[in-house]
Amino acid sequence: MGIATVVGVGFAALGQTLSAGLQAGLFWVAILFGMFPALARGFIVEEETGTADLLRVAARPTSVFWGKWLFHATLYLCLSALLVPLYALLVAPLTGRWDAWLLLWLGGGFCLTSVLTLCGAFVAQTAVRGALLAGLTFPLLLPLILMLIAGSRQAIEGSFPTEPLQGVFGYALALSAGGAWIFEKVWRE
Amino acid sequence: MQRWTLECRQLGKRFGERWVFRWLELQIHSGTILVVLGANGSGKSTLLKLVAGLLAPSEGTIELRCEGSVLVDRMRLLGWCAADGALYRELTGYEHLRWWAQTRGLPDQHDALMAQLERFELAHRAHDWVRAYSTGMRQRLRMAMATYGEPPLLLLDEPDAGLDPSGLQLLRQVLNEQTRRGVALFATNRAECAAWGDLALELGA
Repeated sequence: MGIATVVGVGFAALGQTLSAGLQAGLFWVAILFGMFPALARGFIVEEETGTADLLRVAARPTSVFWGKWLFHATLYLCLSALLVPLYALLVAPLTGRWDAWLLLWLGGGFCLTSVLTLCGAFVAQTAVRGALLAGLTFPLLLPLILMLIAGSRQAIEGSFPTEPLQGVFGYALALSAGGAWIFEKVWRE
Repeated sequence: MQRWTLECRQLGKRFGERWVFRWLELQIHSGTILVVLGANGSGKSTLLKLVAGLLAPSEGTIELRCEGSVLVDRMRLLGWCAADGALYRELTGYEHLRWWAQTRGLPDQHDALMAQLERFELAHRAHDWVRAYSTGMRQRLRMAMATYGEPPLLLLDEPDAGLDPSGLQLLRQVLNEQTRRGVALFATNRAECAAWGDLALELGA
């Protein structure tokens, strides 16, 4: 899905000069589209194959959360390795402050992984997974995506995005503290 | 042997508007096997899932006590085997048992794992994928996992399903051994299995 998004955007932007804001927005939309279906599947597969109860009995909720988180983070790494060069090739090269890009990618990845792991666990136990996942993640991802876009825009323009990065890492801190705790409540009925 | 007690007080479970059961009172002490009988849909699996902590009661309480002290996280102390409980198709029997041992902090040495698989007559297929196992072999693997580490609380949800006569004999052995370790709840559709336990509870009666 992420590849299709990047190729589609690349085709639409062919021969055009994109503004910094548009470049930043398209970059994070492509990452989000690539991550969304992959990350939410982690727990849904467990429920669909019936192994969720075995996992519940076998392991502590915090171990399950961080185990899945690690798996999802690896997926984020792999998807980024595919999507970022493709985006740079087809849409626009990632110019400006590379250190800011790196921090935004790290912080954004941590938050995306945490939000989708948490929401994936929650919707996996329900019947209307697709609609509920979109509804649940929207309020959680919107502020994050806005901060990431603002930060990326500043990075492209050559300035260090201090405030957006503070927001992203604050969000990451809140998620790492509360994520496992909320997960424990959701994971066991 | 430590003295274990499983106690359910005024236990009830409701799905939507339908009560599966209500006002259930149970007290089982170490050395007791409780056979849970009942027709399909009578709530046998629900009761075992409530005791396991996989479902939350709609009313009432469940406590596992050791020497009188209530244990908060009883899920860490139970062995659980359900006929409809899925296994990971892409793991082997040996990998399942090792994973179970590691996540529960039990010994995971090769010899100990193989001895357990040997006991359930699975050693010769230990490194085959579970997807290639028959129904009975999967059931044996579930029992091997459930009893590994000698848990004080053993929950067996229709473990007799799909077992051949030697598997059923093994199941009886497992139940007999559990009387020396703690308590067991054994849910089954077969009325003749009531004699395998010390107490019988018939749901939906």
